[in-house]
Amino acid sequence: MNSLTELNTAPTTSDEAVDSAPFFINGKVVEGNDATHRSRDLGVTFATPKIDLDALVRPRTELPPLLNVKTSEIIDFLCEAGQKLEDPNNPHVQACIDRMAKVSLAPRAVIEHQMLHATDYLDKKVLTEVVEQNFPNPKALDEWVPHTDHQGRRSFIRAYAPRLIHVLPGNSPGMGVRSIAQSALVKSVSLFKMASADPFSTVAFLRTMADIDPNHPVVRSMSAIYWRGGDDAVERILYRPQYFDKLVAWGGGDAINNVMKYIGPGFQLVSFDPKTSISMVGKEVFASDETIAEAARLNAFDVAMANQEACVCSRFTFIEAAPEEADRYCKLLAEEIRVDRMGEGTPRPLDMELKEQIDVLRMMDDEYAVFGKSDGRGVAIRSDEPVDFHPLRKTSNVVCVPSLQDAMKYVNVATQTVGVYPFNRMPELRDHLASGGAQRVVRLGEAGPSAIGNPHDAMYPLHRFVHWMANEDGVEGQ
Amino acid sequence: MATVAETGAVERLTSLVDAPDRYDYSAKDLRQAQIDAMNERFQDRVNKIKLLKLRADEAGISEIRSLEDAVPLLLPHTAYKSYPEGFLMDEKWDKLSKWLDSVSTHRVPPINAAEIRDVDHWIDKLQESHHYVSCSSGTTGKSAMLVASDADMAWCKREAPQAYAWGSGVKLDRSRRMFGLAPVAKVPRNEATGEAYTNALQDPNFERFHYPVPPITVGSLTQMVVARKKIADGTIKPEELAEFERISAERAKAVEDAVEITARALVEARTDKLHVTGLWAGLYNVAKAVRDMGYSAKDFNPENSIYVGGGLKRAKLPDDYREFVYETFNIQPERNYQNYSMQELQSGMPRCQKGGRYHLPPWLVPLILDKSGDALLPITEGEYEGRAAFFDLSLDGRWGGVISGDKVSIDFSPCACGTKGPTIRDDIVRFADIEGDDKIGCAGTVDAYVRGMS
Repeated sequence: MNSLTELNTAPTTSDEAVDSAPFFINGKVVEGNDATHRSRDLGVTFATPKIDLDALVRPRTELPPLLNVKTSEIIDFLCEAGQKLEDPNNPHVQACIDRMAKVSLAPRAVIEHQMLHATDYLDKKVLTEVVEQNFPNPKALDEWVPHTDHQGRRSFIRAYAPRLIHVLPGNSPGMGVRSIAQSALVKSVSLFKMASADPFSTVAFLRTMADIDPNHPVVRSMSAIYWRGGDDAVERILYRPQYFDKLVAWGGGDAINNVMKYIGPGFQLVSFDPKTSISMVGKEVFASDETIAEAARLNAFDVAMANQEACVCSRFTFIEAAPEEADRYCKLLAEEIRVDRMGEGTPRPLDMELKEQIDVLRMMDDEYAVFGKSDGRGVAIRSDEPVDFHPLRKTSNVVCVPSLQDAMKYVNVATQTVGVYPFNRMPELRDHLASGGAQRVVRLGEAGPSAIGNPHDAMYPLHRFVHWMANEDGVEGQ
Repeated sequence: MATVAETGAVERLTSLVDAPDRYDYSAKDLRQAQIDAMNERFQDRVNKIKLLKLRADEAGISEIRSLEDAVPLLLPHTAYKSYPEGFLMDEKWDKLSKWLDSVSTHRVPPINAAEIRDVDHWIDKLQESHHYVSCSSGTTGKSAMLVASDADMAWCKREAPQAYAWGSGVKLDRSRRMFGLAPVAKVPRNEATGEAYTNALQDPNFERFHYPVPPITVGSLTQMVVARKKIADGTIKPEELAEFERISAERAKAVEDAVEITARALVEARTDKLHVTGLWAGLYNVAKAVRDMGYSAKDFNPENSIYVGGGLKRAKLPDDYREFVYETFNIQPERNYQNYSMQELQSGMPRCQKGGRYHLPPWLVPLILDKSGDALLPITEGEYEGRAAFFDLSLDGRWGGVISGDKVSIDFSPCACGTKGPTIRDDIVRFADIEGDDKIGCAGTVDAYVRGMS
């Protein structure tokens, strides 16, 4: 049986054997261990309540709870929630870190860091800037904004509150916070589908918000549950334009491929596609030992952040160098990647298949050079063309090219962030990178931080989320 | 010619291949001999197989004294597809030969890339130096390249019909007409076993049925892989893509047309004693065509036999597909042969009639590991499950220790059929299939952007 627990109470202590992943539905926590699931990455078992499909869908005859709440008030509420999330005594977040450490690929220190920094986004200046960057006139979120075209036809335009389903990625709890905040900013009614690699953090964030005010419209607009990605029994029912306007999805795989068959008139996909990020290092790097060391260190930041689980993490570095020069760079890069900046301690061993691929390259020593060890702490591989496996777990492939222009053939629609060294070479590269399909060029070492409110995956996401509505009101003077 | 190492424990175990009681040795009684045999293999191979040497050095192992010692020396099944794909695509046959050498017992001679036309030619050329490369078929990913020796080819010819006879109870008396109902990959191992089965089963008064689809060559598989890569890279021109799709459609049509032709041939031969082989999807489709023509069990010879290779391979069939096939061709349960094996091994585990379980022969050492494949699970009373790994002591041309992607349940106690050797339950699944792909993250590759190639 599901049971509604009182809000404002600390989370129940988890069962020793199976961790509970409660749901959050329209502002209320739903506990229950009716179904057990296995996390995809580490095969850890967790239990969830039974899904009550009716509770997940708000009839369209009901106006969204946030519709007439001012954006500035929403921002204030989100900021207050941010402070509560950072509070080291927050029971929901602390319990969540313990549980996440079991199911996540990321080391505990990385999870703690991500949970703590997730709230950086919940800042008044940040959120305001996000809104201002996404909407030419942010007032359209709060009211029907008048506009008259040059022929005198009057309109009122509204960035109307949408009904969204978010398919969350499991690799970063920060995405959960971000998605909650963005959903609130566009005043949506939102259902978050959590990932098996993190069926906990989104509910922990929402519970923290409910602790502030269980009846706040932001809280009442949000639901977060888990089902196995691609489960037709759930998706066939929910993925309909009668219930939701848009599906906001991260990543690829079955969870997304399966979604495609439900996309149709009235039910749109806003996808943050799976991405690979790269680095480009010009010949100038060899000017001195200092410049080599500097670039290798910056490059390592981009490779190793978040244990190389995120889309912004560099996986390939294209370098203007002959193999011998590249080896000098690659050796330093491996050393820098192997520095344990997150205090993760002893890493999990590499996946067998990846380890085998890397070790085989070690034996192909006239074509490849491998620096570091395949022990999960970090390895860099020098080659003439990109390796045919996906570099993971602090693995960087340094590819020699005669000129960075020759690396453009490796840039494609899956290329997200490109870190460049020296920095002054960005202008000569960016047109070509954009033409190839890339979405972001940064200074090497700065893939992690991102400018507030910038386009993501070649779009302004909030602008895509809303239901743009026009009320035309005749022609002036008639 | 037997090498020195083969006069000891390896020879003792592999020489049981023709012994009628070969599945009746308990694992306990065999254990020491198996450990000795693995060590024999190890001592001989550690300085010949580079990848093995790397593993041994890394694990600090100089001798196999226990089953546990063998675990770090097992190669994942993916080791045989660890060659850089560029070697194949860019036709660097010299480099590909060098890679092959790193997993081969016997030295692969240097090859002048300029003299090689294509991958099929490369494989032919290797055969001249007695290296037999078999490839696994995969249309979307890399093919595994498994190198074998003359001794391995001879072993396959000897072992496969023996395992078949034990598991099916069918006499190897050349009294049957063989019908293969699936396109076969044209690789040395398939040719060797095919020849052995023909010699053992095929009635010499008839020609073996030729399945009317050209055999799958490694070259044709490679073309698929190359095309997929070009699509992902965005370097394929639209006209080339259209041509590729046309060839794919043509091949699909040939497979479809083959159903009708095969069904007619079977109906014509229906009073003769038949031996039918293939994969479930193909067998089902042909059976359905035979039924549509108005024929079923009553029209076929009651002594017909069947050998189905592999599982469902993700084909979607009605729930009763097995019964449907058996009932169409009048196959009695005792002449239904099932065998558990994998490309990376060269010995089979035939399923017994009474217990319905797969039996391990003495020369195949079971090493059942935890899910991640890192540690040996303790051998317990009764049945337990884990990741299948085996050491095939019969393997000569490459290392015998392999970790599979399969989840199996093994039992070291005697089987219901009365034999004492270890057995595996008939419910093997691949870890990859049971887990599906529930993983999502923002990181990913351009493979997610390739449409229509799965």
